[in-house]
Amino acid sequence: MTVRVALIGNPNVGKSVVFNNLVPGARQHVGNWPGKTVERKIGRFNYNGEEYEIVDLPGCYSLTCRAMDELVSRTYILEEKPDVVVNITDASNIERNLYLTLLLMELETNLVLVLNQMDIADSRGYDICSDTLASKLGIPVIETIATRKKGMEELKQAIEKAARFPKRASIKYSTDVEQVLARLVDTLSTDADLVRDYPPRWLAIKILENDRNVTEILAGRPVYAKTKEVLA
Amino acid sequence: MEQKLSNLKAGEAGTVAKVKSTGQIRKRILDMGITTGVRVEVIRAAPLGDPVEFELRGYLLTLRKDEADTVIVSTEESA
Repeated sequence: MTVRVALIGNPNVGKSVVFNNLVPGARQHVGNWPGKTVERKIGRFNYNGEEYEIVDLPGCYSLTCRAMDELVSRTYILEEKPDVVVNITDASNIERNLYLTLLLMELETNLVLVLNQMDIADSRGYDICSDTLASKLGIPVIETIATRKKGMEELKQAIEKAARFPKRASIKYSTDVEQVLARLVDTLSTDADLVRDYPPRWLAIKILENDRNVTEILAGRPVYAKTKEVLA
Repeated sequence: MEQKLSNLKAGEAGTVAKVKSTGQIRKRILDMGITTGVRVEVIRAAPLGDPVEFELRGYLLTLRKDEADTVIVSTEESA
């Protein structure tokens, strides 16, 4: 069975370079500007006898569907449900990049975090403890320099391991938030169709954020009124 | 002293105290890392004063003036 892998990250962090490194013969156009990939590109590679289908998603800073490219990325992850999500980040700009990582963790994806552009991070004197980051986030963290093909073997290993032993990332919030989330999840779970299509905890978080897109998803479902009762 | 981010001149900096916009614009501004307590420095403005480039969290961000209007910053310097 083909393992489906999605590459996602902020614009201009090197997603397409990683894609080209992983997919033999791929000549995905690489440009040093953000917003180059506006549609998803698909390629395949084999590793240890397993076939992987890899999708290069457009860069995005968040997962709200405001712009077409962000919508492509979010819709793919929500609806196609890839087996492994590889979040490529710019290690030299880690604080901003990790915001998307947290959003992907909220989405309960089977996540692998890639710290790309480690050479630039090094040249800026950043000392990134990726082991500590991995244990704090509870997800595997791989350091790469994609333009020099460094870390690609480690990345393939991490993808293989994540595919074999899937783990849903998650973020724990403060007790008061968690209590409300738990009640919302209980309510949402009464709608079997809904929670088959979307992670209930993610829906609950987005309800608290008053996310317009989630409101649209819920509108017209009986469960929507019930969630309002929970929050009343 | 608290003032609009859009009032700062190139080279000036402030700490975000409040984001007054609402809805999608507010979400976007927060998404881009403009949250309470973050230091924002004005780098430069386009010839007509709009848009304006800022540096925060180690990266550059460009905002329209009406977006920067909604961000309230506190500045250390006494006016």
